[in-house]
Amino acid sequence: MKRYSDLEYLRLSKGQKFLYKLASFFAAIPRGLWNLVLGIGRFFKDLGLGIGREFSDIYLTFKNGDWKTRSSFLVMGFGSIARGQVLRGLLFLLFEIVFIFYMVVPHGGAYWVKMLGSLGLEGPSKGYDEILDQYTLVPHDNSFRILLYGVLTLFFIAAFIYTWRANVRQNKIAEEILRTGKPLRSGKDDLRSLVDDNFHKTLLALPLTGILVFTVMPIIFMILVAFTNYDGDHNGYTNALFGWVGFENFRTMFSWDVGGVNYAATFGEILTWTLIWAFFATFTNYFLGIFVAMMINKKGIHLKKVWRTILILTIAIPQFISLLYVSKMFDLNGLVNGGLKALGLIQQNIDFWGTPKLARIMVIVINIWIGIPYLMLIATGILMNIPADLYESSRIDGASGWKQFTKITLPYMLFITGPYLLTSFTSNMNNFNVIYLLTGGRPTNAAASGAAGSVGYTDLLITWLFKITTGSGTKYYLASVVGILVFLVVALISLVVYNLLPSVKNEEDFQ
Amino acid sequence: MSNNNTAAIEREKRHMGLKASARISNTIIYILLIAISIVWLIPFVCIVLQSFRMESTGRVGYVIPQVWGLGNYRKLFDPSTNFLRWYLNTFIIALVVAVVQTVIVLCMSYTLSRFRFKMRKPLMQFMLILGMFPGMLAMIILYRVLDDLHLTGQYGNAVPGLILVYVASSGMGYYVSKGFFDTIPKTLDEAARVDGANRAQVLYKIILTLAKPIVIYTILTAFMGPWGDFVFARYVSQVIPQAMNVAVGLQSWLATDTMVHDNYTLFCAGGVVVAVPVAILFMCLQRYYVEGVTGGAVKG
Amino acid sequence: MASVKLTNVKKIYDSNDGTHRKDHVIAVHDFNLEIKDKEFVVFVGPSGCGKSTTLRMIAGLEDISEGTVEIDGEVVNDLQPKDRNIAMVFQNYALYPHMTVYDNIAFSLRLQKMPEDQIYEKVTNAADILGITEYLLRKPRALSGGQRQRVAIGRAMVRDSKVFLMDEPLSNLDAKLRNQMRAEIILLRQKLDTTFIYVTHDQTEAMTLADRIVIMKDGYIQQVGTPEECFDMPKNLFVAEFIGAPKMNIMKTQLLRENGRYFVTPFGSKIEVTGEKGKMLAEKKVPAGEILLGVRPEHMVLAAKDDATAIPVTLEVNEMMGSELHLHVFTEDGTRLIVRVPTIGLESGERETLVSGKKMSVTFEGKVMHFFDPETEQNLLL
Repeated sequence: MKRYSDLEYLRLSKGQKFLYKLASFFAAIPRGLWNLVLGIGRFFKDLGLGIGREFSDIYLTFKNGDWKTRSSFLVMGFGSIARGQVLRGLLFLLFEIVFIFYMVVPHGGAYWVKMLGSLGLEGPSKGYDEILDQYTLVPHDNSFRILLYGVLTLFFIAAFIYTWRANVRQNKIAEEILRTGKPLRSGKDDLRSLVDDNFHKTLLALPLTGILVFTVMPIIFMILVAFTNYDGDHNGYTNALFGWVGFENFRTMFSWDVGGVNYAATFGEILTWTLIWAFFATFTNYFLGIFVAMMINKKGIHLKKVWRTILILTIAIPQFISLLYVSKMFDLNGLVNGGLKALGLIQQNIDFWGTPKLARIMVIVINIWIGIPYLMLIATGILMNIPADLYESSRIDGASGWKQFTKITLPYMLFITGPYLLTSFTSNMNNFNVIYLLTGGRPTNAAASGAAGSVGYTDLLITWLFKITTGSGTKYYLASVVGILVFLVVALISLVVYNLLPSVKNEEDFQ
Repeated sequence: MSNNNTAAIEREKRHMGLKASARISNTIIYILLIAISIVWLIPFVCIVLQSFRMESTGRVGYVIPQVWGLGNYRKLFDPSTNFLRWYLNTFIIALVVAVVQTVIVLCMSYTLSRFRFKMRKPLMQFMLILGMFPGMLAMIILYRVLDDLHLTGQYGNAVPGLILVYVASSGMGYYVSKGFFDTIPKTLDEAARVDGANRAQVLYKIILTLAKPIVIYTILTAFMGPWGDFVFARYVSQVIPQAMNVAVGLQSWLATDTMVHDNYTLFCAGGVVVAVPVAILFMCLQRYYVEGVTGGAVKG
Repeated sequence: MASVKLTNVKKIYDSNDGTHRKDHVIAVHDFNLEIKDKEFVVFVGPSGCGKSTTLRMIAGLEDISEGTVEIDGEVVNDLQPKDRNIAMVFQNYALYPHMTVYDNIAFSLRLQKMPEDQIYEKVTNAADILGITEYLLRKPRALSGGQRQRVAIGRAMVRDSKVFLMDEPLSNLDAKLRNQMRAEIILLRQKLDTTFIYVTHDQTEAMTLADRIVIMKDGYIQQVGTPEECFDMPKNLFVAEFIGAPKMNIMKTQLLRENGRYFVTPFGSKIEVTGEKGKMLAEKKVPAGEILLGVRPEHMVLAAKDDATAIPVTLEVNEMMGSELHLHVFTEDGTRLIVRVPTIGLESGERETLVSGKKMSVTFEGKVMHFFDPETEQNLLL
């Protein structure tokens, strides 16, 4: 395509500019993709080179090392202990002992890894217990535990390899230091560095362990579950084992007809509503929040604190109380209908939660009630930060109040809050509380409910996921598929927006 | 003649006092603000009023009780309901979570704001990606694991299990306080380091005193979280009555229409008892919350 | 292109600080000034003197508490800023961060609904004059301080307004850039040929740019005049000390009158007032007595011989400025004086002898003195 110079570009009309930008955007895609491919290629090249370097380094360390170093290849930490770095060495040694012990004990690491391939051979069975004189469950293999501990063990093995490598490197470094005649760091030095040079490691140790065990692990587990038939009838604990099924579950999710159920349509319908909901929930709150903030902060408005405090009340009171209460207020025979009737405004009670359209509008409206105060606070903070001279300058330039809002306040807000809007959109996609506590997904969507759980017209993917995994007829594998799809949607949206937003890219810009 | 007139009117318009137009718009704003305040307050006023209703327990179409009384509150604290137990559960959880989560979040955010180490960027990107998975997904497995460890409602007490769940991944919520730490000039750290402080001393002698608002903000949000949490508590408590927190418990009172008929006013009273202390605490510390939200949530 | 007239303009702030006590702070007192068409007027004074407030009242950004502001004969007190036909450059540039340079400059034109062709002409023309053409598609964030400054000026330029207001436009630039931009503003003024009102706290800017300077302090005008008038005949002690750098030396001394001739006797010396100043003293029949004597540092010289006109001093600090030395000296009673010595006038090797603690003598000529009343601090010759 033709590239314009700056001055030529400025000559274009609005429409042409837009088309030009659009064209440039698409013209950049092949290049971007090519760069991506190159990047991936480079990554693997670097990875290969890196691994090669590691191996050659390990080899050289062994070849050139003294006997202390060489024995460390087998007995971790030996070199360190022999050179007087006792604390370090003992830790290495302890780790090795624990690792070996864990791997070799019966039903230890080796067992779990071995069973990962099949997820168990023999399921639990009823056996006769002579002492109790009744049939009890006799546990054999347990698919759930095999998957869980298998994955954990793989992690553990990776950690061991990493530590072993560190142990080898330590020896090499120690040798080099001793060759220059300097003393090695003592255990005391090591400890001291934990509050100074390596303070970040100390600080991150606890949080990252928590994240690893309680977030990363479960996510990996659940991704794997999507490739099994783990459900209420195959839980591996009390009934049949579950096993690998490959991409079967994904195929089901995108099929028009599996046992008379149209999964694809159900998923499509819920996804569409989830996106509509997230869009409206985010932007109604955003604009109305800014609007309210501007009203409260306008010069000459008194009692600013009072208005703010009244609004903040919805943040102060636990959401489940206000949501449950408001939900009941709008029930068929709730307060609102009673009030409207008493005022003579309606004859028939309005079934707010009964019809799909009205119910959907209601959750969006009530979400405004919940969300505005928070946005009002954020907007207040930013509004105060907009330099006053921008407004003064625009007044001289002839901007009316409305123009100031559309040309300065709003673009400035969007400019600053771009990243926030993105996160708020994705967290609204996963806004369980508002939907579940207000409607529980109602009104029921009979046509879509064959898939799993009971699907309602206000159900988001996340509440659907919840329904699939609780109550009777749980289908964990389906929940995992939904979870993975939610991730893909969120990731896709984020990726696109990140590439369009200049302000997100550079973190240091804001510092 | 008429030309002159329009010119004069035009002139008049241009000269119309800045104050007069401001007065009109201010009046409109006051009307709007009052309307907003009413809409925002109505549900809270209603819930309080209905908690004192004695003549019936279900839903009615009016707000002001015909017979006033404290019966609902008395029933609330009667051992026949599990309310006191739920309250205690939630309170203990909230207290522990407030302390531990604050420590974890501050460690995380301070490190990511102040240290430049090799894995920093990849770590932050990794956590960003992790955050895109629905957190509920993890619960499906975690509750099984907790069950194996006898930490779920099945074994009578879900408090330790819930604490673990709330606290464990709290490092992911570093974003707001990192934003706040970023606004504290790095030169202060450098000055302290030159004066002979080590990294740890910089943290608790300089940064934590300056970051008081965000510390209080973190404690406050950590404390309030468990009061409103429904999903995790639902999973871990397994809807066993004495193991629930207030959110799951009060929701269980309204699960079906007949239950609504029996428990509605009781729910209102329970809601008031839960909301009042939390709201008072929040309002007292409001200043810090606002500072945290505006200073950390959106960096500007 | 227009005249600006301020009549008895006053600015009163009601500082209602939440307590029930109301304070009135008067920021500007009875400001009277007539600015002619195409004149370049600079308001100068220390911070808090009311100069910016006055400018902002002309712009319409502040209410005028009392008095009237007229632009081109029309009273504009109640007009919105946009209807006053003014352009303004702000201290922090006030560039819209989310707009490109082009959009920033075009902003006011678009609000006037000018056709895009004309906007293009005007903006590129202004950008050409200011040398920022290559940055037109950048955002302000990506510009240096000087470039931002140019954009701000460009934005004001394209409005073709009657009056050009500038509020400390150079104070955020570093010293070198400030000098350069000062020169460019002089050129800009020749090109634009309109009325300028310029606010600064820097007397050098005021002296170099202005046709007329308005020196303010605590909300009052101290003196209005050309740079030469303000420099040569400061109305009072404040103006005398404010204009000129380093600032004027002030000595408490006696004015003697002998046979119609006037003498001053600073620190034991006796120097005759000669030239224009001597004549004026005689004409005004200024009585002898205690006065404050002012002599600018550049008018003081190292005394060649130790006669009656020499003032014995001790050298404290020798500041080397390149082409000249600033000698900070003190007299026997501890009064500090500054002497500006051009390096070119020094004997070879003399510079090295000027070290701290050196005893020396200084003096000045009879025609360079300024006389102020010790009570009222007014210039005795006016």
